[in-house]
Amino acid sequence: MNNSVIKGAGYVLVHVPGMVMYHGATQTTERVVNPDSEYLKELPKHMRSYEQCVAYPPNQTYIGNLPIEELAALPEPWVDKTVEGAARYGKFGEIMPEAEFIILLQVCDAFDLVHLDKDFVKAHRADFEAHPLMTDAIKALVKEGVDAADVLHFTKEEAAEEIVYEDKVVGYVKRAHDVDVNLSAHVMFENIVAKASGVLSILHMLKNTGISPADVEYVIDCCEEACGDMNQRGGGNFAKAEAEIAGLINATGSDARGFCAGPAHAMVEAASLVKAGTYKNVVVVGGGCTAKLGMNGKDHVKKDLPILEDCLGGFAILVSENDGKSPEINLEVLGRHTVGTGSAPQNVIQALVTDPLAANGMTILDVDKFSPEMQNPDITKPAGAGDVPEANYKMIAALGVKLGQLEKTQLASFVKEHGLKGYAPTQGHIPSGVPYIGYARESIMAGKTKNAMIIGKGSLFLGRMTNLFDGVSFLIQANTKTNAPAAVVSTGKQTVIGIAAEGTELGRENLETAVALAAKKGVKAVIVEGENCHAKMEEMLASGEIDAAVASHYPFPIGVSTVGRLVTPALGKEMFLANTTGTSHTDRVACMVLNTVAGIIAAKACGIENPTVGIANVEGARQAEKALNELKAGGYAINFAESSRADGGAVMRGNDLLKATSDVMVMDPLTGNLMMKLFSAFTTGGSFESTGYGYGPGIGAGYNKLILIISRASGAPVIANACEYAAQLVNAGWVKIAKEEYAKAKRAGLDRIIDDIKASHQTAAAPAKKIEAPAKETCTYDIHGIEVTDIEDAVASLWEAGIYAESGMGCTGPVVMINDAKKEAAEKILREKKYIM
Amino acid sequence: MDLENQKRVKEFSEQYGPENIVVLLGASEGEASGLAAETVTAGDPTFAGPLAGVSLGLAVYHVCEPVVKEEFDPAVYDEQVSMMEMVLDVDDICKEMNSIREQYCKYC
Repeated sequence: MNNSVIKGAGYVLVHVPGMVMYHGATQTTERVVNPDSEYLKELPKHMRSYEQCVAYPPNQTYIGNLPIEELAALPEPWVDKTVEGAARYGKFGEIMPEAEFIILLQVCDAFDLVHLDKDFVKAHRADFEAHPLMTDAIKALVKEGVDAADVLHFTKEEAAEEIVYEDKVVGYVKRAHDVDVNLSAHVMFENIVAKASGVLSILHMLKNTGISPADVEYVIDCCEEACGDMNQRGGGNFAKAEAEIAGLINATGSDARGFCAGPAHAMVEAASLVKAGTYKNVVVVGGGCTAKLGMNGKDHVKKDLPILEDCLGGFAILVSENDGKSPEINLEVLGRHTVGTGSAPQNVIQALVTDPLAANGMTILDVDKFSPEMQNPDITKPAGAGDVPEANYKMIAALGVKLGQLEKTQLASFVKEHGLKGYAPTQGHIPSGVPYIGYARESIMAGKTKNAMIIGKGSLFLGRMTNLFDGVSFLIQANTKTNAPAAVVSTGKQTVIGIAAEGTELGRENLETAVALAAKKGVKAVIVEGENCHAKMEEMLASGEIDAAVASHYPFPIGVSTVGRLVTPALGKEMFLANTTGTSHTDRVACMVLNTVAGIIAAKACGIENPTVGIANVEGARQAEKALNELKAGGYAINFAESSRADGGAVMRGNDLLKATSDVMVMDPLTGNLMMKLFSAFTTGGSFESTGYGYGPGIGAGYNKLILIISRASGAPVIANACEYAAQLVNAGWVKIAKEEYAKAKRAGLDRIIDDIKASHQTAAAPAKKIEAPAKETCTYDIHGIEVTDIEDAVASLWEAGIYAESGMGCTGPVVMINDAKKEAAEKILREKKYIM
Repeated sequence: MDLENQKRVKEFSEQYGPENIVVLLGASEGEASGLAAETVTAGDPTFAGPLAGVSLGLAVYHVCEPVVKEEFDPAVYDEQVSMMEMVLDVDDICKEMNSIREQYCKYC
């Protein structure tokens, strides 16, 4: 089954000094407990300007403008450093100024709860509308605003929450219910902020991935707020509310919660939904949190630092079907902190890092980069929490030392090589593993790193429901579908191939050599033992003990035929021979059409994205070509090869077979079988097949069992190759590929085309009536492309229309010869009667 | 030290007598260990919690201090603490803890 992929991400920050002052929990608590405190008096002097916030190095890293390595090269602390040429927009997102965000809050309010002062709207509307990502639909939601008196009334008399900009109250959020605390102005304010910053993140993700908003099918929100009323406090659903504003018209969604581990849980859920085929495109989104603004403000003020927690964070990540390019989410390497794990740091790191790696035969050294909690150390160090990511790397390394995966002296270098500098705002779920996904995607696609482990951890005890801690982790890796066809995909759980070579003429030793050769290719093969080994093979396939079988013969039902794979001698190039045994249809031409689809499936499953197709110049080739062109015109993509002979065309000659001019060579069964034998044994004399991958898998519509055919003369190298071929098909998810190709071909008219072929051949078999030849003319014009079996019928059809014609053999095949003057009329008739295209 | 923990330490010392309490810390570095130790000996230095102005003088140790380590079953210690012992700056933690105990501990 194909892994899902990371298609791209959006990362945003919103500079909100007004919200720090009036909505951060540290500040609101202080106002209640100690309204005259020194801290509250000192705080305004420590706020940064928007420009300072933009120029702050970790912020530039978060939005994609300052690579993590360059941030790491800057001496810490970074608070007194600025980035030359720092910009509002970066390749991942932006740092939005507060005024524009306040308008976005109003836009994201669906219940007439957010009201802004008209003068404020007037002053900032143009800036908001100039935003490159705001759609017309979003801009249309901006309201003109209310009078200052209205603002005063609601904030003073109606318990509305103030919206403060540059020390002035410029609007308010009304309570949504008079009694229900879950709909109080404070809660509504927090929720609308989370929603708006989530929406902004989605807009950037849409731009960065290029996906059409209509193609997103599902959204998972993983912020740390809850929306609902007194009867269902956490009813939800932020995801759908955000999707609505962002224009994701075909999406639904749901909220996933897990404190700071929420995003990692949501990513695993998204990856699973896509991998299972439930949805093709799932967005994971998390908006920001007002309560955490200025959380460590007291420490920052005490140490005479600016308030560094003056930004909301947000992110959105698109998880999609495997595109053969983007990094994959490997769910085999899945770490989980379970109920029984225990809470000691050692237990936690083991459950989240070393156990899932060990289960897949990996050590911590096999992971290029770890992304745990990516908090900015500039924020956490002055607050006494140390460098959080660094502490995590030390723990991972120390556990590695305990497990003998590295020496104690390598501890420091491990942290440097496999770690990252933290740069995310301390917004709980925002720094938790996910900030690196955008950079990881780039780094893996550029080939700089091969993988990254994303680790999310959460403090569940804060909710007072359990004392447990929580965490989940997963691996992002380079796309495995982009590998060369010969490479076997490593998915963790090893694919096992059974060899059932009943009646082999080459003895047991040959099979044992084949198993050893397969192992060298990284493929696990087992010999199916016993006299009646084919029955045993069926049992093992059914039980899942083996994922596929290589068998010396197998009675496939009609409709299934095999696609052989060989290495051609002229250029050493691989070619898929469709087919080599089995009967996809009783009609030869229909059979060749169906073989083409089977050949394309096998080639695609082996990693050839758009295989070229050629038709071997055997009896029925021209009719098959005609039918395939019809299928192509109906919308089934067939990438016809061009013969290497001077006159080109999709019909392949002997030279083309030797050179593998096409990736897929369409054959009739008997010729295909003959060719397979020749190509496998032409250097040995025939009693030992030494090259190629054997006669290949049985492929047919709705046929899901994977059995590949070898012959009784197949030597160890061929059997080992057949095992490799089988493993590739399993790992590429061949059943799904086959299902998709057959569905596409059927939509393009495959069934009707097959029926037409059958019907035309039945009429051809009926006794032809005698037609007299018209007066003889000089025949100097050749019409090519007529099937040899149809040639006399074609001549007769012209005679019937009063055109004199003769049949003959041209240098590339049979021809009908006529007078030059009649060529247009003749071709028209032959085309109508489907003798030529 | 968070307010809830301060409350619990205070209640325990009232319930069992301060001389019968040992506070065991697991903080990740010296400064944080020192602050927590100060809280349960001299009182909450931030003057925010129940131990503000309350000098309990309790015996307080960090789990990585050698004298504490000796008390453990080595197998349990290996399973639960040894990894963190490798990560933490144990010398710095011991220095802080000793300094606080010398100044404020009444029951060490």
